[in-house]
Amino acid sequence: MRMSVKLTTQAYCKMLLHAAKYPHCAVNGLLVAEKQKEKKKDSHSTPILCVDCIPLFHGTLALAPMLEVALTLIDTWCKENKYVIAGYYQANERTKDFRPNQVAEKVGARIAENFSEAAMIMVDSTRFTMGCYEPILAIYDHHENKWKCRDCNADCFEDWCEAQKITSALLEGRSYESLIDFDNHLDDLRNDWTNPEINKSVLHLC
Amino acid sequence: MLYESMSFLYYLNPEKYKLRKWREDNHRNSEQIVDVGEELINEHASKLGDDIWIIYEQVMIAALDCSRDDLAWTCLQELKKQFPGSQRVKRLAGMRLEALEKYEDASKQYDSILQDDPTNTAARKRKISILKAQGKSAEAIRELNEYLEQFVGDQEAWHELSELYINEHDYGKAAFCLEELMMTNPHNHLYCEQYAEVKYTQGGLENLELSRKYFAQALKLNNGNMRALFGLYMSASHIAASPKVNATVKKANVKYAAWATNQINRAYQLAGRGTKENKCSVKAVEEMLESMQITMS
Repeated sequence: MRMSVKLTTQAYCKMLLHAAKYPHCAVNGLLVAEKQKEKKKDSHSTPILCVDCIPLFHGTLALAPMLEVALTLIDTWCKENKYVIAGYYQANERTKDFRPNQVAEKVGARIAENFSEAAMIMVDSTRFTMGCYEPILAIYDHHENKWKCRDCNADCFEDWCEAQKITSALLEGRSYESLIDFDNHLDDLRNDWTNPEINKSVLHLC
Repeated sequence: MLYESMSFLYYLNPEKYKLRKWREDNHRNSEQIVDVGEELINEHASKLGDDIWIIYEQVMIAALDCSRDDLAWTCLQELKKQFPGSQRVKRLAGMRLEALEKYEDASKQYDSILQDDPTNTAARKRKISILKAQGKSAEAIRELNEYLEQFVGDQEAWHELSELYINEHDYGKAAFCLEELMMTNPHNHLYCEQYAEVKYTQGGLENLELSRKYFAQALKLNNGNMRALFGLYMSASHIAASPKVNATVKKANVKYAAWATNQINRAYQLAGRGTKENKCSVKAVEEMLESMQITMS
């Protein structure tokens, strides 16, 4: 059974903070992994670790131009930092609606073109709590042009206990108020979508 | 004399003025409104005068957003006491029912408002919001179209309809809504820019050229609109790269794209001054633009 994606605390944290910042909107973003130096023979048994998350947009997700700009810019940034775009996440506008829609499938497919083990992640807002007692993601893998849902449990995380503790702490502390997504960056270029302050907070709590 | 007393009042109660600013700007920063508003209501109610009623309304709606039904209920009771039989308060009661997902009861509440006053636009719009909340997009679109036939000047409604169409990937109809908005608000750069984004998404050479024109128009109206600037770059680059254009068109669009590149670079240089992290952004943008020039040429 192919194991594809695992998440670090930082990646999971920023995803949930993004969703928490805009509870009344759809949000989406990208996940990045470290670029593997060489293709190992049994590479498909080693899980891909998504080390960071880049929050993209909130509100209307179905328009192309800014998405193209973001994908290109972030791709360039990835190359400089030896990362690769490894996944896409989305939280829908309606809480009860956590199935991938056309936008998710299109962007996911586009990422899968450049990275065959790309994952598409949908956030299940019905189970979103401040305590973060369980992982609230549905992870989809790309198989033969279809997206298949995989069980998401503690195994999908580098360290679930740490992720749970730190995400909960940052939610309580309202860190999401200072989270920057690409939309915020387009509103004011000084807004940094790499979120260095939040990254620091995550490290401090580790 | 009036100015002096107003600034005195500001220092006495800056929170009240914060709330007013958020009201005027239609900010949905509900957590902050609840924080500020709850304290104001509990500690300083006597000092608020007649403003207290509009503050109760504002805080109530924010409280619904934050699942603070306790606070919402308190505000609602105060408003009911002060304004018995008010349609405006009835609508707030309906919104509370919506927040509790009691959609049938909410709908009945709005129907009773409409029985007394069939022109009550707020109640009609709430009914459409219920459809949206229930995921009934097609019905919401239909009802909103009917509403707009009667209330053709309601800009908020036209904008809501454009968003509903975009979410259904019906870009043609979304464009029509934005055209209505641009006609009545020719100086609004945001509508121009959104229209350009919709046209770009629709695709095809003609739509790309339209999108480029409207990105340019948005920039003319507001040269700080980064989305318009990026959009101008993207659309001009795509047109220049298209095999269907002749040499003159290609040359012109290469020029537009080059101009946009310069402006984007300048904007990033200006923004990047001082912070280490932003220098990385500046570099990334330069490389992105360079690599796109290569793939587009």
